[in-house]
Amino acid sequence: MSDERRITSEDLALFAMQLLPKEEMAAVAGYVARSEEARRELAEIQGDLAIYAHTVDMHSPPAQTRERLMKQVARERKAIPIDAATGVHRTAVRSDAIFTESGAMVPPSLMEELPPKGGTMGKVLPWVGWAVAAALGLMVGNLYRQRDAMRGEMATQASQLDRMTVDAAAARQVTDAMTDSSAMRVTLTKGPATPVPQGKATYVASKGALIFLASNLEPLGPGKTYELWLIPAAAGESPIPAGTFRPDGRGNASVIMPPLPKGVEAKAFGVTVEDEGGSSTPTLPIIMAGQ
Amino acid sequence: MYRETGLVNSPPPSAQDDAALLALVQGGDEQAMASLFERYSKVVYSVALRVLRDPASAEDVLQEVFMQIWRNPGGFVATRGSLGGWLAVVARNRSIDALRRKKPSEQVEEMELASKYNLADEAERTSLMEKARGVMRLLPMEQRKTLEMAFFDGLTHSEIAEMTGDPLGTVKTRIRSALTSLRKAFTA
Repeated sequence: MSDERRITSEDLALFAMQLLPKEEMAAVAGYVARSEEARRELAEIQGDLAIYAHTVDMHSPPAQTRERLMKQVARERKAIPIDAATGVHRTAVRSDAIFTESGAMVPPSLMEELPPKGGTMGKVLPWVGWAVAAALGLMVGNLYRQRDAMRGEMATQASQLDRMTVDAAAARQVTDAMTDSSAMRVTLTKGPATPVPQGKATYVASKGALIFLASNLEPLGPGKTYELWLIPAAAGESPIPAGTFRPDGRGNASVIMPPLPKGVEAKAFGVTVEDEGGSSTPTLPIIMAGQ
Repeated sequence: MYRETGLVNSPPPSAQDDAALLALVQGGDEQAMASLFERYSKVVYSVALRVLRDPASAEDVLQEVFMQIWRNPGGFVATRGSLGGWLAVVARNRSIDALRRKKPSEQVEEMELASKYNLADEAERTSLMEKARGVMRLLPMEQRKTLEMAFFDGLTHSEIAEMTGDPLGTVKTRIRSALTSLRKAFTA
């Protein structure tokens, strides 16, 4: 496995997992196509990967997935077998038309005008007709397959779109409820407590997703805004601006999904007061902070 | 008490082998399709869930993989290996495609897969899973982790090398060695 283009078993394993760059994938594919030994080794590697895939923790899919599949299967019910469609066409061609020497089909109404045929051409001509009929049959089969595949693709996309629409509507409801200025916001505390400015940040570093809800904020003077900051956990990294906000009449504010880079672990979050439009670096003091 | 019916000689779907079920699917038998789903949906979904870490996306892959069987049952030929193994690898590859947001790669379905296991049999499937997990537990941590990053996270050897600080050659060797150990354990 190490002769041609220095393709090794290691390369075949990466090829099987589709982890090589495009050009290398093509080079290995070419090698595999030429070498039976490589094909055998690749099949073994695929077998190893199949076994490895089975080491995953097993989870049963939700019950509705079976229903979803069977609905889709019923939607794409196999109505017309390809062979039958091809056969019908072939019969129709045979009974209704003949073919000229060039292979062109002649309608029955013109058949009487054709001169009689004999000799070699007479023997060959019917076969030419059959060949054209077979080619037409194949073409019909091919078109049928293409139509079937396209219909399947459309049905899958329609089903995905339906689900995405439902998901988007649900997400929109959540966002609307969180950002609605008329929404009632209550902070529950143990015993009587004086309302103090408070912010709650929910952050998923791997997705760069951040939701920040604040309450009891003091109003700001004109030309000023609050700004939220993500303080990265990595040493030496500067605070990342995570959105500006102004409280409503009741002191509530929110920052929902500001544009943030993915994968930045946060050490803390802080809020500063900045000039309207925000700043690229925080202006002290930090009026709210949490980690 | 047994009642004589026209189906008296037909084995129940669960006992039918994959090739027979695929032949029925080819003829448009929806019940055969349901039987294949019962048999393999768990492994397909679990692999997709491990790669994508998102149940909704894993469900999409599950649907896509089984619809592929429905639309083109001839796409898998029994001589290429076990259907269960093929589905597990296709589920992984489709999930990686989804992760990279790229179009499904066609050559995946063309693959041949050497397998002597009858994954249609639940007991054999369970035994294979347990044995494979046992082998993986015994591997050196670096090998195990590197294979996991490549197979389940879809990271290229360059990406793994960058993340772990290991040389490229070492990463490639670890992946290959882990697979070799797995194969040896199953051929011993």
